Amino acid sequence: MLLFLQSLVNGLLLGGIYASCSAGFSLAFGVMGVVNLSHGDFVMLGAFLTYWLFILAGFDPFLTLPVTLVVLFCLGFFLQRVAINRLVGAPLIMSYLLTFGLHLVLANLALRAWTADYRTVQTSYSGLNLNILGVVLPYSRLATFALAMVVILGLYFLLYRTEIGRAIRATAQDREMARLLGVKIFRIFTLTFAIAAGVTGLAGSLVSNTFVIYPQMGLPFTITAFCVVVLGGMGYIPGTLWGGMILGVLESLTTTYLTAGISLALTFFLLLMMLIIRPGGLFGKGIVE
Amino acid sequence: MSRPLAQSNPIWFALIPIGILLITLPLFGLEGYRLRLITLVFMWVALAGCWNMMSGYSGYIDFGPVAYFGVGSYCTAILMMKGGLPFLLSVFLSGWVCAGLSFAIGLPTLRLQGAYFAIATFAAAEAIKQVVLEWDRVAGFEFFGGAHGLTLPPAPPESFFYYIMLFFMGLTIGLTALLEKSKFGYGLRAIREAEQAAELSGVPTLMIKARAYVLSSSLIGCIGGVEAHWLTYIIPDDVFNVMRTIQMVIMTLFGGMGTALGPVIGASFLTLISEYLGAKFIYDYLIFVGLVIMIVILLLPQGIMGAIRRNQGRSRLRS
Repeated sequence: MLLFLQSLVNGLLLGGIYASCSAGFSLAFGVMGVVNLSHGDFVMLGAFLTYWLFILAGFDPFLTLPVTLVVLFCLGFFLQRVAINRLVGAPLIMSYLLTFGLHLVLANLALRAWTADYRTVQTSYSGLNLNILGVVLPYSRLATFALAMVVILGLYFLLYRTEIGRAIRATAQDREMARLLGVKIFRIFTLTFAIAAGVTGLAGSLVSNTFVIYPQMGLPFTITAFCVVVLGGMGYIPGTLWGGMILGVLESLTTTYLTAGISLALTFFLLLMMLIIRPGGLFGKGIVE
Repeated sequence: MSRPLAQSNPIWFALIPIGILLITLPLFGLEGYRLRLITLVFMWVALAGCWNMMSGYSGYIDFGPVAYFGVGSYCTAILMMKGGLPFLLSVFLSGWVCAGLSFAIGLPTLRLQGAYFAIATFAAAEAIKQVVLEWDRVAGFEFFGGAHGLTLPPAPPESFFYYIMLFFMGLTIGLTALLEKSKFGYGLRAIREAEQAAELSGVPTLMIKARAYVLSSSLIGCIGGVEAHWLTYIIPDDVFNVMRTIQMVIMTLFGGMGTALGPVIGASFLTLISEYLGAKFIYDYLIFVGLVIMIVILLLPQGIMGAIRRNQGRSRLRS
């Protein structure tokens, strides 16, 4: 019973991180219709940024969050201006391939620069746990989870409670109509992609607290984002929270009771089944073409 | 429509001497590395051609063709090693296994549109890869060989594979040329241009899509089986590698999607150039590949055949 509770809690904590890592993916798809296969590499860049700031400058991992947010925001802004902008309204195959090309460039540049070594961020509080009735809760995981929730909530407030968010949602709903009503949609696209990249980088910083980081970690995160976003509904930000939780719990339980490899197979199977049975996500609020 | 194939495009005439040349090449002392390289080009032309048959004409982006490549490889390996069947029969049966599997996967997923079909096929390919990887550990008996893969019987001489790959390349190009002129091909293009209108005009869209998907998947499976015996050693991370999917897609796109000759041009050029770059820059190779992909998409979105066609259109307008 304790084992079950422990893996359930682990799964929920993991799910929070998954959700924060996937929100940007959902945002870019929902607003621009761009499937970003280099999404996971933004997570990787965020994680490495935190790692180097921690190793070289001695920053606490949690204090690096604003830095990664700003750096990745700028990177997203630049990439959108140079390349991604051309994908809006283009056939989907273009966005798949262009962003996969970007993935290859980012992942392999990182591999060249930082080698394939596995790295971890070890802080003074890394090993400390909270123990509730036998269920072990590492402090860094708890803090990471809390911050991941803050990221999702922040994004939600930005989208649903601000003027910019209203413009972004209007553009997502009907590009032409938004343009007619005076929304500068290309500015919105740039902003959206930059926000998506920034939030994803921020999530990457959070990941570095609890995950092993290495240059090739991007693609698995992209795949996770796919699954989370399809579960919650493409383009529906609150849905990523539920998608992340379900995926996290599922992975944690299958890893505990079966094997880790099967949990990945199950992830893909779930993704396939969801697409066939309910492509709009669990709540049917996702975008279905 | 009733015009003979060769009349429709002068390029088809040029294919006859090229075909004869390719058949006689090994007789003139082509061997070793060069023979292998040309066989590799044939394989990629055939694979890109198969992908083009489905995705280039129907507009449904199959992002998991590597699933059938891998399944074909494993089927052939298992049939030869555990079943003791001859090579060609195993390849033939692998094609049928892939046909059945692709029908089962295609029927539900082909109802999905746009991004969702691409993601679903991608997920299917990764799921199959994971099952192959984990089967032995979970089921508790040796079958797929896990991450270590399987070893096949020693391969016959290189020229044998040269001819087999040449056959598959010819088959793919021929089928695509036939498809361009057939009712089936018109149906596929109607789906690409306006699926709902096609459905309303009485085109059985789902069945046509499924037929194209099964055809392309079973051929890819056969080619996978041939490659397994050619290399005599297969591991899941290689035969199910997502890079193979990307290669098929980018080669077709580079040459021009939805054209019979596009994959031929794209695959020959990119296989040779990546062989060169791969040998010259072992460590930076994938960075180059990524940059090339990005440049192709940004500068040549219609592919080489698309660019040629545009110029032809222009010169016709001028004259």
